[in-house]
Amino acid sequence: MRNDFYPPGSVRALLNTDSVTPQTRDILNGRLQKKEIINPCFFNKEMFVTLRHICERLIPQPNRLHKVDLPGFLDEMLFKGEGNGWRYNQMPPDNEAFIKGMQGIEETSKLMFDAPFILLDITNQDKVLHSIQKDLAPGKTWQTIPSNLFFEELLAQLVEIYYSHPQAKEEIGEVAMADANGWQKIGLNELEPREPKALNK
Amino acid sequence: MKLYSENEIVDAVVIGTGAGGAPLLSRLAKAGLKVVALEAGEHWEPSKDFATDEVSQAKLFWTDERLSAGEDPLHFGNNNSGIGVGGSTLHYTAYVPRPQPDDFHLYSDFGVGVNWPIGYNDLEKYFDEIEQFLGVSGPADYLWGAKHKSSYPLPPLPLNGAAQLMKRGCDKLNIKTSPAANAALSAPYFQKDIGWRAACTNRGFCQAGCTIGAKANMDVTYIPLAVYHGSEVRSKSFVTEFELNNSDNISAVVYSFNGKMQRQKCKNVFLCAGAIETPRLLLINNIANSSGEVGKNFMAHTGMQVWGQFEEDIRPYKGIPGGLISEDTHRPKDADFAGGYLLQSIGVMPVTYASQVARARGLWGEALLQCMRGYNHTAGINILGDCLPYPNNYLELSDEMDSRGLPKPRIYFSIEENERRLNIHAEKILREIWSAAGADDIWSYNRNAHTIGTCRMGNDQQKAVVNSEGKSFDIPNLFIADNSVFPSALSANPALTIMALSLRIADCFLDKMKHR
Ligand SMILES: Cc1cc2nc3c(=O)[nH]c(=O)nc-3n(C[C@H](O)[C@H](O)[C@H](O)COP(=O)(O)OP(=O)(O)OC[C@H]3O[C@@H](n4cnc5c(N)ncnc54)[C@H](O)[C@@H]3O)c2cc1C
Ligand code: SF4
Repeated sequence: MRNDFYPPGSVRALLNTDSVTPQTRDILNGRLQKKEIINPCFFNKEMFVTLRHICERLIPQPNRLHKVDLPGFLDEMLFKGEGNGWRYNQMPPDNEAFIKGMQGIEETSKLMFDAPFILLDITNQDKVLHSIQKDLAPGKTWQTIPSNLFFEELLAQLVEIYYSHPQAKEEIGEVAMADANGWQKIGLNELEPREPKALNK
Repeated sequence: MKLYSENEIVDAVVIGTGAGGAPLLSRLAKAGLKVVALEAGEHWEPSKDFATDEVSQAKLFWTDERLSAGEDPLHFGNNNSGIGVGGSTLHYTAYVPRPQPDDFHLYSDFGVGVNWPIGYNDLEKYFDEIEQFLGVSGPADYLWGAKHKSSYPLPPLPLNGAAQLMKRGCDKLNIKTSPAANAALSAPYFQKDIGWRAACTNRGFCQAGCTIGAKANMDVTYIPLAVYHGSEVRSKSFVTEFELNNSDNISAVVYSFNGKMQRQKCKNVFLCAGAIETPRLLLINNIANSSGEVGKNFMAHTGMQVWGQFEEDIRPYKGIPGGLISEDTHRPKDADFAGGYLLQSIGVMPVTYASQVARARGLWGEALLQCMRGYNHTAGINILGDCLPYPNNYLELSDEMDSRGLPKPRIYFSIEENERRLNIHAEKILREIWSAAGADDIWSYNRNAHTIGTCRMGNDQQKAVVNSEGKSFDIPNLFIADNSVFPSALSANPALTIMALSLRIADCFLDKMKHR
């Protein structure tokens, strides 16, 4: 597996150039400038705190001054109720699934380690999450919603939020947005000057 | 654009403007008929309305919820269905290989599946016509299938990293490859009655919509042609009901526009809402189903993807994603299954890829971040192969209502022995190609794609919903022309065949009209 690291700031530097269309710039700037959500609209406060801890495990962002506000984006999305066109038949509708799922995580955490999720150390937090992902988690909640499907849904939503954010794009050296004038060099190992190069190369 | 009054009895209402609806819309309009298209989604202006951003472009997907059941539940939304003038072609990859002649008679060759009531010869002249009209880019001589009467109008598009790697791997294994036929322009293209369209600028974001009109979506090809010939295209018009007269003909189509119910009187209806919404509408209205086959025989192409990481810089966001093809596996000699498949290289947008990594590999934490740090070194190949119709795979109405108060559809899908064997065969080859090309961290994603079947065409009205000319056996003025009429999946990407069927259905209709 490659493990490339790219310089931070690459996408932000490109955003105000004519390599990015105004529509694309507006959307990415909107995401960059979005204020962190403190008071959730969809989750209750307690769940929201738990969600923050879960996000830290699923998509860690330890060395960042400004983290991508994963719980905030998710809360907003669920509050708006924008669906993605389908759900697994065994799953309840999204709004119900996410509330139940969060309750399920607390339940499993208490059954496995006798404490709420946020008080577990990260090793045990990961054990809880793994058991949920593998459909092995204890708890009554999971009789009404399959824990593995909930986990898949939660993870997929967070990942989509994360990798649509300019900071995450910088992390993986992706500058697809700089295409206002198209790309000429598209073959193997062919880079255009505006594409960031990996630091470890 | 010409506008018709709702009280005017127009010659035809066309429901849906995707690969099935748009071509016939233009054909009927050109013949001088008064036609109105009703399309649930918006009529976008891509240069203003589209961004290079997957999340905001989700507006191109059908987001009304579908319930996905069965052993291998399908992911709908961005994997399958579009909304808007242009339908799913707004976000298709525009691979447009022709089906091969033997694709149409799987039953005769293997004793499973079904034969089509028509064959390659019935569609051939339409393939020629559509390729010239769309401006398909492709090789001068195509290596597989029936020899084409006319070659592709434009030379192939340049190969991106994934396509070059697939070629490298296949060369080592003596698997023949070719630049694919792709309905995106490798050079500016002029069409009478439409004007110039610009050449592809290698953005690699075809599945999030083409901002410059290089990709031959319906909204930049058959829709403007239809409008030129006097058709009206009514967007944001969601059809819910059909009114029938005493002689069991449809006399009006009811639809909601801006939350208001409206009705358009008409002489004929062409239902082209795609393989989920078409049967759903028929079931909701309880019409055209004396066979009991509406919603049955649902299929989705076997579409296994194999991903790998390479030493080379690939930057999967550049270059047309649909680059290279091989049909050497169309009828593999060592196959223990019916039918076959083709191989295609895939470029991939970052969020789509990340989402697949999450769902299929279940990676999270540092493992996820590390995998994604290799995004720029990632390339994929996928297959597109047969899927047989089974009684267990079907669409029904659930008792859960959507925001419009209509029952959500539930779709059952499970693959069976034939698909399992095909997948095993394919996975082995795909992995070999990627190993030969120098990949590491190879992983496979076993998926199915495209919505096919549910209103089968056939000669026997007990077993089919429409005849070989797309006409309903029950309702004399109802025609269906979209992916739902396919009796079998065909081992080729569907859009070109859907367009060809669409034109054929229009021509048969016009021909009958002349002789009435
Ligand atoms: C990501 C992706 C990539 C693809 N790549 C390829 C490819 O490379 N090659 C290929 O051949 N195919 C590809 N396809 C598939 C191809 O796009 C579809 O098979 C094809 O467009 C289906 O045509 P259709 O007419 O059956 O339906 P659609 O094109 O989906 O059109 C149906 C239309 O009906 C409208 N509609 C539905 N219900 C109503 C209603 N009640 N009232 C009014 N309007 C309604 C919808 O809004 C839609 O516009 C791809 C699909 C996807 C999602
Ligand atoms: S790659 Fe070409 S055809 Fe595809 S979206 Fe970009 S410009 Fe359009």
